[in-house]
Amino acid sequence: MTTNGNGNAAVALEVNEIHKTFGTHEVLKGISLTAHDHDVVAILGSSGSGKSTFLRCINLLETPTSGEVRVKGEQIRMTIRRGEPAPADMKQVDRIRSKLAMVFQQFNLWQHMTILDNVVAGQVHVLGRDKHEATAKAEEMLKKVGVSDKVGHYPSQLSGGQQQRVAIARALAMDPEVMLFDEPTSALDPELVNEVLKVMRGLAEEGRTMLVVTHEMGFAREAANRLMFLHQGLVEDEGDPREVMKNPNSERFRQFLTGSLK
Amino acid sequence: MAHVTEYLPLLLAGLRTTLLLAISTMVVGLILGMLLALAKLSKSPWLSRPAYAFTNFMRGIPEFLVLLLIYFGGTQVLNGMLPEGGFEVSPFGAGLAALSVIFGAYASETFRAAFQSVPKGQIEAGRAYGFSTWKTFRYIQIPQIWRVAIPGLGNLWQGSVKDTALVSIVGLDDLMRKAQQASQTTREPFTFFFVASLMFLAITLVSMWIIARLERRASRGFAGAR
Ligand SMILES: Nc1ncnc2c1ncn2[C@@H]1O[C@H](COP(=O)(O)OP(=O)(O)OP(=O)(O)O)[C@@H](O)[C@H]1O
Ligand SMILES: [Mg+2]
Repeated sequence: MTTNGNGNAAVALEVNEIHKTFGTHEVLKGISLTAHDHDVVAILGSSGSGKSTFLRCINLLETPTSGEVRVKGEQIRMTIRRGEPAPADMKQVDRIRSKLAMVFQQFNLWQHMTILDNVVAGQVHVLGRDKHEATAKAEEMLKKVGVSDKVGHYPSQLSGGQQQRVAIARALAMDPEVMLFDEPTSALDPELVNEVLKVMRGLAEEGRTMLVVTHEMGFAREAANRLMFLHQGLVEDEGDPREVMKNPNSERFRQFLTGSLK
Repeated sequence: MAHVTEYLPLLLAGLRTTLLLAISTMVVGLILGMLLALAKLSKSPWLSRPAYAFTNFMRGIPEFLVLLLIYFGGTQVLNGMLPEGGFEVSPFGAGLAALSVIFGAYASETFRAAFQSVPKGQIEAGRAYGFSTWKTFRYIQIPQIWRVAIPGLGNLWQGSVKDTALVSIVGLDDLMRKAQQASQTTREPFTFFFVASLMFLAITLVSMWIIARLERRASRGFAGAR
């Protein structure tokens, strides 16, 4: 909780004691995280440890059972509706979500839209930008991720690596405060992983604030400035990636690194 | 054959009524079908149960009977409610009500299946980017639903064009009835029924062409489509 590489930068995201229970299964048992501007936080953990659920609780794709989320100091207001926790104001949630662009494992590009429209849609319909401005921004972002030759194509006509890079462009176009990546390379053929990682390393270098759930140890070690290891819904280890990966504080993380924790 | 040109304006007027009824049926039926589908997919049993019951009832009885129930029942109900009496449901009104309720009942199943065919990730991506429920519906679900629903809705349209002929029985001056009138006065039933058939066939062919185009348009971007 104490480690962070950007102590002087402003706090971008603050997550406090998030709990999440599905039925009787407590998946998150109190997880906190403070990310400053320009932080790149790698989130590791074995399958089922709650990594996706944690990310999804931050942008409220899942409603946390309890806990707080603050984005740029603004707390997402919660209430109780029919005995269940629920967002107090969906408009606030929608506004905050637009600042927390998410990149999904399965890309989730909108299949009926061209590549360009995928990157334009959120800008126009959510941020209210005018079409020309949004198109210019989309073209710029698509160029940045190296798929500007595909603007008129549809997602189904692209390789997985290209689709994921478009998804990153879609996220960038929203000028997000924090980017949430949920295993962005796990659905890709091995030979396509690097083209996506390269784009993500570029983003880390230019100072984007990112939370990245990943199994890519190289990326975690070299591109992240913080590492968080989840196990059974708890933060079992955290710190500077190079340090903790060399000298884990917890036995669980040690096992995870040697591959004996699956 | 000389009679055909003589009666052509009459038949064309009937054709106009037929088309008007079919198009109105489709518009009202699409709205009703969408509302019923949303009700069926609702988490609340207070919405979904009645929607299912209504749909199953409407699909379970003959179209013709629905028409008669609305035509005669509607007149009775109106007169019962309004003390002055003497009201009568117009054939067009009864036809529109009956056919669009039937269209809506079937369309609700088409829409429901189409809604469920949209992968969850498509909707989640919208929500994650700050699209409200309405904007997600409007910009992400509807366009993807169309693609799946168009063939089914196209069949329903073809069906309701033909079902308009039933409404002639309660006195609608549609193509069917005009053809009947012409064949009675000229004593050439075959000629006029044949001409009416050709006109129905023309509607069907034009519709098929339009539906195919709509389908192609809505399928852009999906695997196996251009
Ligand atoms: N909607 C849900 N309903 C019920 N249980 C769920 C739901 N979503 C997740 N879970 C459960 O919560 C636990 C954590 O899931 P989660 O997807 O967060 O894990 P993960 O760390 O992302 O795993 P993976 O590496 O496989 O993606 C799992 O046991 C999963 O079965
Ligand atoms: Mg996951």
